[in-house]
Amino acid sequence: MRRRIVVALTLGVVLLVASAPAASAHGERAQEAFLKMRTVGWVNVEFTGGEVRQGESGADEIFIGQGEEITITGITTLLSTWPGTLGGGNPNTGFISVIAPGPVVTIEEKTVNGVSAPHRITISKGGIYEFDMTIAGRTPGRWHVHPSFSVKGAGTLLGPGRWINVEPVDGYTNPLTLASGEVINLENYQLSFVWIYSLLTFFIGMGWMFYWTLRKRTVQNLAVTSQIPLNTDGMSVGLILKEDHRNMNWFLIVTLALTVGMFIYQAVAWPDKLPQQVIEFAPPAFEQAGAVPVATGISADYDPNTTTVTMEAEVTNTGNRDLVLTEFTTSTLTFDVEPATLEEAKLVVAPGTVGAGETTTLTLTLADPRWEGDKLIPTTESQLEIVGLLVFDDGTFAEVHAPLKTEF
Amino acid sequence: MASTTGSTTKDAELRELLHRNYKYIDWKWNAVFWITAAFVVGAAGDITKLLFAGDWDFWTDWKDRQWWPIITPFAIIIIGSALQYIQWLAWRFPTGMVYTAVAMWVFATFGRWVQWGAFLDYPLNFVWPMTMVSAAVVADWTLLKTKSFVLTSILGGMAFTIVWWMSNYVMIAPFLQPALWMDRVLTVADVQGIEYVRSQTPEYLRIVEHGSLRTFLGETTYVALAFGGVLSIAGYWIGQFIARALAIWPIGRFMKKW
Repeated sequence: MRRRIVVALTLGVVLLVASAPAASAHGERAQEAFLKMRTVGWVNVEFTGGEVRQGESGADEIFIGQGEEITITGITTLLSTWPGTLGGGNPNTGFISVIAPGPVVTIEEKTVNGVSAPHRITISKGGIYEFDMTIAGRTPGRWHVHPSFSVKGAGTLLGPGRWINVEPVDGYTNPLTLASGEVINLENYQLSFVWIYSLLTFFIGMGWMFYWTLRKRTVQNLAVTSQIPLNTDGMSVGLILKEDHRNMNWFLIVTLALTVGMFIYQAVAWPDKLPQQVIEFAPPAFEQAGAVPVATGISADYDPNTTTVTMEAEVTNTGNRDLVLTEFTTSTLTFDVEPATLEEAKLVVAPGTVGAGETTTLTLTLADPRWEGDKLIPTTESQLEIVGLLVFDDGTFAEVHAPLKTEF
Repeated sequence: MASTTGSTTKDAELRELLHRNYKYIDWKWNAVFWITAAFVVGAAGDITKLLFAGDWDFWTDWKDRQWWPIITPFAIIIIGSALQYIQWLAWRFPTGMVYTAVAMWVFATFGRWVQWGAFLDYPLNFVWPMTMVSAAVVADWTLLKTKSFVLTSILGGMAFTIVWWMSNYVMIAPFLQPALWMDRVLTVADVQGIEYVRSQTPEYLRIVEHGSLRTFLGETTYVALAFGGVLSIAGYWIGQFIARALAIWPIGRFMKKW
């Protein structure tokens, strides 16, 4: 009977663990729609490099080997609709990076507005940040990877993602050149040293514990200790002996010798050391290449039966050439008049062109089940609004937001 | 004279009691206690550490010279202090701190290896846990010599922090070497923190080199250690409170009642 119970429990645990699928999402669906739409916008996010071929999703996916690099480029901006409830309504610190299910890729290079930006940056509402990130494959598998913009007070906000398949490569290493010229492998650098040293301290501790627990009785001592004062070692009754004091002195000497000896060793072995660096700066301002159009949202109607948002927006072309609307982006969704990947949805717009110097009302039809799948329709929230960016053929873009109406 | 004789008689009685054989209480009871309690103590110690100093213990790029030695000794001395009181009071063993340290070592190492290494594939040289054992030996030795919790808290608490820092600085040292990377001079630990993606821990959450302890010609570490030592003393008495008021006293009441 007991054996059966043990077998059943073991089998239960094994089946539970073995049948659990690996998580490939990042919790973005748990975020409220306003948090994803009213905070940051994404423009022209592109993944470049690797081999692009049909993957498990049936769509084009990226295939790279371990250590092989690809780049993620694009523009992100802090929208004027940034909620007053997040970061006091005045976001000032951000961090542009990538989101993946753990360290399945490594970040090798990162610039924001043309400047190397490994750490946090100073940001402000309305700021535009052009990023260029080089990432390399690390953990074999199929991973969904997004660019991300973390903003203090709001958390991590995601841009459009792609599936990246990392294939194993024999002898994969992650090299880093130190200032001394030594090339190390970040995957296991000094791991043995750390474990051996840590284990040595553990052995000393176990020695200390074995000394007391194997040589002396434990529970039985209570009959004696309950009858003597707390501030005595009970030497007169034989609880702790002079011999114990002497042996514990030796334990202390060995411990201090190891600590001081290794402290001297590290000073000799690694003489050049720095405190951890904290790099924070305001990146140079980014200006859009052309005359920036102005967009005003008029209405946004959502049809839950077809999961379609129909938006009317008045666009003023402030330049001297016609503008053609090519994209509407919001959060992780991109609607394109000519979708390049299956992850992009179809944008239908009429009329599609705004003449130079003119103001035109555009009607955008944005149909995609991910409006609901990604929880981007805020019908359960306190701010019923659709927010996004209109992207034009000259690369300029304009923020648009319109009140949302839907059926209940 | 009579008092000395009385004391000697009492000592003789206690000495005899110390070596008395009990029919039902043998070494197995001791083994049961030490082994089963290790899980509770290890978990309690590790959870307390993670509550107060989790990220500093997780990542090399958080293990700085300022906040790491202030927060961590305070966090880890609490449960060790409670165990020190209980084991000294009940069995006159100066083992509470070391017992906590080795139990925590096993828990933290196993957790790091399984959760961060096997499940998430972080390189373990980025996420190794601190070791408390050397500092614990010093604290237990201090109790053994002083036989006083007040002196142990003051002398042991300060020594605990200093030895803890020295023993753990040894492990972080190779990761503080400079490297030119992304057109910046960064430490190896910084590079690890940037390269290995931490999905919901953006870099600006890192509390390192953050504060105004800038006196003494920039020798931040000494100021941090002094402050960390004082905090350890406070942490030590939190542990004593846990042991005396929450562990021993209720049991005492229960025992008297029944």
